[in-house]
Amino acid sequence: MEFPRDTPVYEVFAQREALSFPTHVGSVRASSPEMALQMAREAYFRREAAYDVWVVPESAITRAREYPEVLPVAPEEKTYRLPGGYDNAPLWKRFKAEAQTIEQVAEEMAAKKEGRS
Amino acid sequence: MMQPTTQQAAALKTLVIPMADDEWMIGHRGSEWLALAPDLEEDLAMSSISQDEMGHAELLYEVLHGLGEASADEAVYLRGPQGWRHAALTAAARGSWAEWVVRRYCYEVFDGIRRKALQRIPYAPLVAALQKMDREHAYHLTHFQSLVQTLAYGGPASRQYLEEAIREDWPKLPDLFEWGGRDEAWVSWDVAALAPSMMRAAFEQVVRQDFAAWQLTWPGNLPAADRAARHHDNSEFLAALLLEMREVRQVAPTSGW
Amino acid sequence: MQSREEAFMARVQSGEKVEVMDWMPDEYRNLLIKQIHMHGISEVMGAYPEREWVMKAPTIRRKLALNAKIQDEIGHGQMLLRLAEDLSQPYGRGREDLMDDVLDGRVKFHNVFHLEAPTWADAGVIGFLVDGGAIITQAMLLGSSYAPYGRMLKRIVAEESFHMQHGESVVLALAAGTPAQKAMLQGAIDRWWPAMMFFFGPREMGASSRRMLDYRIRTMTNEELRQKFINRYAPRIQALGVSIPDPALKQDPATGQWSYTDPDWDWFSYVVHHNAGPRSADRLGLRREAHDGLRWAREASLQAARHFAKEADHGISAGYAGL
Repeated sequence: MEFPRDTPVYEVFAQREALSFPTHVGSVRASSPEMALQMAREAYFRREAAYDVWVVPESAITRAREYPEVLPVAPEEKTYRLPGGYDNAPLWKRFKAEAQTIEQVAEEMAAKKEGRS
Repeated sequence: MMQPTTQQAAALKTLVIPMADDEWMIGHRGSEWLALAPDLEEDLAMSSISQDEMGHAELLYEVLHGLGEASADEAVYLRGPQGWRHAALTAAARGSWAEWVVRRYCYEVFDGIRRKALQRIPYAPLVAALQKMDREHAYHLTHFQSLVQTLAYGGPASRQYLEEAIREDWPKLPDLFEWGGRDEAWVSWDVAALAPSMMRAAFEQVVRQDFAAWQLTWPGNLPAADRAARHHDNSEFLAALLLEMREVRQVAPTSGW
Repeated sequence: MQSREEAFMARVQSGEKVEVMDWMPDEYRNLLIKQIHMHGISEVMGAYPEREWVMKAPTIRRKLALNAKIQDEIGHGQMLLRLAEDLSQPYGRGREDLMDDVLDGRVKFHNVFHLEAPTWADAGVIGFLVDGGAIITQAMLLGSSYAPYGRMLKRIVAEESFHMQHGESVVLALAAGTPAQKAMLQGAIDRWWPAMMFFFGPREMGASSRRMLDYRIRTMTNEELRQKFINRYAPRIQALGVSIPDPALKQDPATGQWSYTDPDWDWFSYVVHHNAGPRSADRLGLRREAHDGLRWAREASLQAARHFAKEADHGISAGYAGL
């Protein structure tokens, strides 16, 4: 077996808080996943805390940019699946009721939770 | 215990000065490894740990300041050599990488035992300072355990360097367990774990277990400490260290820097 | 019909970004490797002049801050070398090779790190002027067409803002200090000003720098960067009551352009190309001590990893320390 000169590369993903998704922040070289976690802490978290950190062997990642046909694109024609593709407000007005958005619902629920309503 | 009596304050100082000075010296000496570790990732780890240790020293000097001692800055930059109570190994000149790994691993094991013992003294500022250090200490211990383990399984040459370093540091370890002051200082707290013999036994137990797990030769129980442990009154080595550390400051000792 | 290379050039010139696995012309890849390798190595070599002063820092706070600052520089070196390593994959070259290049003189590092830093004020002025110059260069590179470089620089520039405050704080304290402290500061400015005039490179850029402009790897000329630097730092140095060792330094009120005495281009260039500065050998010696001297420790970590991987294969608990 060929003995490698370099320790393997681990890509580092950080989750800042419980409700955020892990985001790629960089990479480290380390001899094991456990050491990679210690090194990720040193390389990317000298000034901030993290809710969780993932280290992933570089070789485990496949990128869509290498397969352009599967690279996601925003649907230009599929207005039916976008909120902006609807025009309910004038109709609600005709029925003498108020139009609403999901943001308003979320805001109301948040206010309830904090006992503001 | 809110306000310690004069006697209690003196006893506290005897116990806290050695720890503060150990932490300072090992962090100061560790800074010398900046940009000299085996790889860049390890450089980052070593620097964090040295910063943490000097930060811990500062916290403890502040506790001592509350007991009437000098401020942290004065303790480091203006105190005479006769006032220092670190164990000689914490300040010893930079040696090989394997020696540093062994020195730091042994120190972290010892430091955890000492911290646990000191935490039982009901002096709130000390308890609070020690608590602040706990999390960082756990990480330091893990890191140095990983490094010793790596050297232990890093092939024959690496294992040989490691075992040589253990033999080199072993006779210098016993100073760590001494307080460098009168026995009443720790006896008066009725905390059995503060006894040098207890700390030494706890240390031997942990290290013996780790060494067995890593299949390292147990170098035998630790020798007895020197009577002059933690005293450096006529040490040319400490005098030179302090001179270098204060070279800039002495240009204008009381000026802003 | 447009060639693949021409289409690539058109794309980057229209502001499109490039990722590591994207197809790129060899010329573009090689320019990126050259730039990022030198940038990363300069960060690492920058640790050496400053580390001399950690052991002697005059207060606890300064000692911790300088330690942290040097650690950041090494961290930037680590992040940049990772990018250069990723780009070097088609050449089969990794960290060991890129680091060997320093010791074998195959990669240059910034002129400033070959020079003497004989006083504490030098540590402060390195933070003030060298970091100041580096921030200007790096802020320019944020717009680089190579996206991984731009992303990493965003992180680096954010960390440099602490370095900037740290360097200025040391310099301000000296300027407000005793006559001995002020003299120390003046001495350091006298040493570092000419080196900073060289820092941004010759007035007429070389062929590869011009290609980097074409490819939008960089977005400003050497002279534009130098003018930004002088404009920001000359008035601040003078405000501190410190003189700048250049009688020709003057701003044209009409154009805003600064005229300045040319640094000794030939000497500095010789220093950088031949590692022939007054401290080049010492600092490379320290790098050699770490890289060559402790190669066995890196090999040990590979061996240990293989040992534990084997144990895991055989169903033996690896029992990795503490985790």
